[in-house]
Amino acid sequence: MLKIQNLSKSYRTENVETTALNNIDIEIKKGEFIAIMGPSGCGKSTLLNTIGMLDSPTSGHYWFNDEDVANYSEAKLAKIRKHSIGFIFQSFNLIDELSVRENIELALLYHNIPSAERKERVEKVMEQVGITHRADHMPSQLSGGQQQRVAVARAVVGDQTMILADEPTGNLDTQHGHEVMEMLQELNASGKTIVMVTHSPAHAEFATRTITLLDGQVVMPDLKAVS
Amino acid sequence: MLIYNYLLSGWRNINHNKLFSSINILGLAIGLAAVTLITLFVRSELSYDTFWKNADTLNRSHIVFKIPGRDPFKAVSAPGPLIHALKKDYPQVTYASRLATLSPAIKVGAETFIQKVNLVDKDFLTMFDLTSLSGDLTNALNDPHSLILTKALATKYFGQEDPIGKTLSLDYDYFQRDYKITAVIENSVPNTQLPVTALALIDENDWTERSSLFTQWFSVNAQLYFQTKNPSDLDHINATFDDFSNRNFPKLPIGGADAKASDFIELSAMNIKDLHLHAVGSGEMNERGNATRVFIFSAIAVLILIIAIINFMNLSTARASQRAKEVSLRKVMGASRTNLIFQFLGESVLVTFIALAISIGLVELALPFYNEVLNKELAINYASSDMLQITGLALLVGILGGLYPAFVLSNFRPATVLKANKSAESSASVKLRAILVVMQFAVSIGLFISTAVVYSQMQYADKMNPGFNKDNMLIVHRMGLDAVNEKMDMLVKEISKTPQVTAVTWSNETPGNTNENNTMLRLPGMSKDDALLMGQRGVGYDFFSTYEIKVLAGRTYQKERNDTPLATAKLREGVNRKSSIVLNLAAARRLGYTSAADAIGQSIFTSRGNPNENLEAELEVIGVVDDVHFDSLRATIRPEIYNLNATWSQTLSVRFNGNPDTIKANVEAIWQNAITNIPFRYSFLRQDVADMYKTEQGQAKMFAAFSGLAIFIACLGLYGLANFTATRRTKEIGIRKVMGASVFDIVKLLLWQFSKPVFIANLIAWPIAYWAMSDWLELFVYRIDNSYILLLSIIAGIGALLIAWLTVATNSISVAKANPIKALRYD
Repeated sequence: MLKIQNLSKSYRTENVETTALNNIDIEIKKGEFIAIMGPSGCGKSTLLNTIGMLDSPTSGHYWFNDEDVANYSEAKLAKIRKHSIGFIFQSFNLIDELSVRENIELALLYHNIPSAERKERVEKVMEQVGITHRADHMPSQLSGGQQQRVAVARAVVGDQTMILADEPTGNLDTQHGHEVMEMLQELNASGKTIVMVTHSPAHAEFATRTITLLDGQVVMPDLKAVS
Repeated sequence: MLIYNYLLSGWRNINHNKLFSSINILGLAIGLAAVTLITLFVRSELSYDTFWKNADTLNRSHIVFKIPGRDPFKAVSAPGPLIHALKKDYPQVTYASRLATLSPAIKVGAETFIQKVNLVDKDFLTMFDLTSLSGDLTNALNDPHSLILTKALATKYFGQEDPIGKTLSLDYDYFQRDYKITAVIENSVPNTQLPVTALALIDENDWTERSSLFTQWFSVNAQLYFQTKNPSDLDHINATFDDFSNRNFPKLPIGGADAKASDFIELSAMNIKDLHLHAVGSGEMNERGNATRVFIFSAIAVLILIIAIINFMNLSTARASQRAKEVSLRKVMGASRTNLIFQFLGESVLVTFIALAISIGLVELALPFYNEVLNKELAINYASSDMLQITGLALLVGILGGLYPAFVLSNFRPATVLKANKSAESSASVKLRAILVVMQFAVSIGLFISTAVVYSQMQYADKMNPGFNKDNMLIVHRMGLDAVNEKMDMLVKEISKTPQVTAVTWSNETPGNTNENNTMLRLPGMSKDDALLMGQRGVGYDFFSTYEIKVLAGRTYQKERNDTPLATAKLREGVNRKSSIVLNLAAARRLGYTSAADAIGQSIFTSRGNPNENLEAELEVIGVVDDVHFDSLRATIRPEIYNLNATWSQTLSVRFNGNPDTIKANVEAIWQNAITNIPFRYSFLRQDVADMYKTEQGQAKMFAAFSGLAIFIACLGLYGLANFTATRRTKEIGIRKVMGASVFDIVKLLLWQFSKPVFIANLIAWPIAYWAMSDWLELFVYRIDNSYILLLSIIAGIGALLIAWLTVATNSISVAKANPIKALRYD
């Protein structure tokens, strides 16, 4: 699915240069469920954003479906992104002014899909995540768990093959967190590749493989994290 | 100490957010400056003649002649005999004085001046409390040889010498008199309809050969002021003026045997304080104001003030979310709601005062141009209560503009704000802000449309063919004075010989420079009671060809054809009872001829001399010319006849085809060569015609300036709002981008968001502007079509939309281009 080689990313703020990722090599196969772990500031989110093509690497290679996208333009990246990658965030990031149905439909709005088909797909995915009964509610009327279901629905409604989740359970209690993890597991079982950043070893257990980062480097690429 | 803390935190806040603060302060400063300028204007307009000690009981008489078949003739001057009849019939009238303005020549050494002099009755000094500078003002007009001068005139004619007791010789053309200066008064103030210069007595004995000036009820010459015992007496006089007219006016020559004077004459009186804004009619000594204009500009001032306050509120509340954390922290530290309200009010007052300082600078910068446009001498009087008023206004704006944000901000609940770390703004305040933006744009668009309509009408007036050629025509004035008239033949010959002069003619009136002069016309077989009153003008040979006025039928006056003018003196002797006449098309129609050609060769009878003389002459219609706009487009073209003036006239008209300045210099040289005792006075016809619309032009300029300001302030507000909204919507934009929206998609989204209020504003502004401007256009008999307003509305709407887009575009693009991660991660 994707291969990262010698990838580095550094940020420059005035006169301090911070290296977030340092010569990273990672390969993720289709159908894997990856958990990325590590302490705060180790570069987990930078890695996820780079995989999600929201951020470009400073150097190195990034093959996505055998294409080296490391130096692609923003517009080209946006095109690949919208067809192949779905995002789930810690803070859900739903648009407050739109209803549940409209929030999910938003992901299809930029895909040139006829209205009738959009409606159909939104209904189907809402059923999948069990939020149909809340279709016309606004995000502020939902619990955190419900909001994250909407976000999951939005991430998969466009038939994306890979889902990137940035601490999807970070803002949820144990019960709801568990539900979301089960949902991700089901999606993985149905063939989607999932890359998830998490702080929770328990939730990392749901993954098929864990990558641990420390100071911008992969420390334990093939082992399950211990703490 | 707390106050100090408020001021300090206020100042830091202003400093901290420079963009917001400058938009806020600039918008407010411009708003305050505009309001101050308009207030100066309105205050000046409302102050006219309010300063006289007797203002409440001083009045002026006005008259309307309702002439069948044309617009009524309205005048602010009075028939000669009115003053005596008024004093006789109304015991309430305690004092009365005529006020006539003449322009005699004053010779001082080698120089001759044409000097405006006011002739009045003795009561004038009792009625009007003029400020005496030297001499005995109370007894200054005890005899017809006394003259009162203003300070300016005293200096002009006597320099630093004491003028009291000195002599000035005034040549009225009709008679000449040596006056002794008896008093010097303060110069006339600008805000009066009685701008007196030099004052002398009216002595009816001076005018024995023109006694009709004092006996003729159907002609008006001098203004008439009178004082009553009580202010309420005015109502009584106005209510009984019809009876008064019927008692005092002689039998009218029109309307048949049963006609009453009040059927055709409308006398009225108006308090002196109302004259400037409410009087109607010709004969005013000082340029009049216009109540509607004062109202419109007051309304504009209020609107601009509202826009400025809205902006202020808008920007402050927009920032509320950014300051939510500060508020919450202060509350946690123990600040009460009142503390916070005072803090925020203090901040807005501080901002307002900075804006105030800038606005005073702006006003001082603008005043020279403003005064030129308005033809006024407005100024902020720093020594008077002006500053107090302006400061009061600023304080009011600061408090009004700060009140709402203060309440919104101080109402944040710390727990929610600190915990959720998100925008604390309610949807109500978002809605309110949208409404405010709509209002701002509605006002701006409305003003924009009004400006465009006024300009279009001015353009129409300028481009419209008035029926004559107004270009390349020099008008020479003062031809009517005896000393000039005796040399008219010579002047015409000399000027005609000047290179680049193609034609010379003369007339009593020229376009833009007209008097009301009427005569009775009777068709053969028509009884005298049915005679028609019609306008008349005196013109010289070649008048129509020089003015390029179209001759529709027949011919015009020619020296070679022995056309000779009617002379009343000869009529009395019984000779020369037949003459020729030229009509305009309206007159031919009014007289009942089916076509211009049909009128040629027909006879008309006209009255001359005093009505009781029964003098009639027969006129043969020799030509019919096209209707032309001698007067402004406000007036319907009246039916009129053109009498031949063979040897006498008020003006010369010189048609040329070269450089106007050279022509003027050449003509002036000829004048100065021939006439040494009277200064040359000239004008260009094109300017005379344009001057008829001076008021409208000033109005258009003011409209343009203030609507420009209103739009500018509204845009400042929009810019601030766009900036804020973009910040507020960063998260949404980030999400949309992650979902695949392109930069273009996002810009479209934001532009649409700001187009909506402009669309709604158009819907509000259009009908109001249409209603107001079609009403304004009614002032003109000849005007642009109402559908123009719609066209201009569409242009204004598109313009406003484009301006709104330009305002928000840069901001929207940069927001749309931003990387979405930050917004989503650190929400």
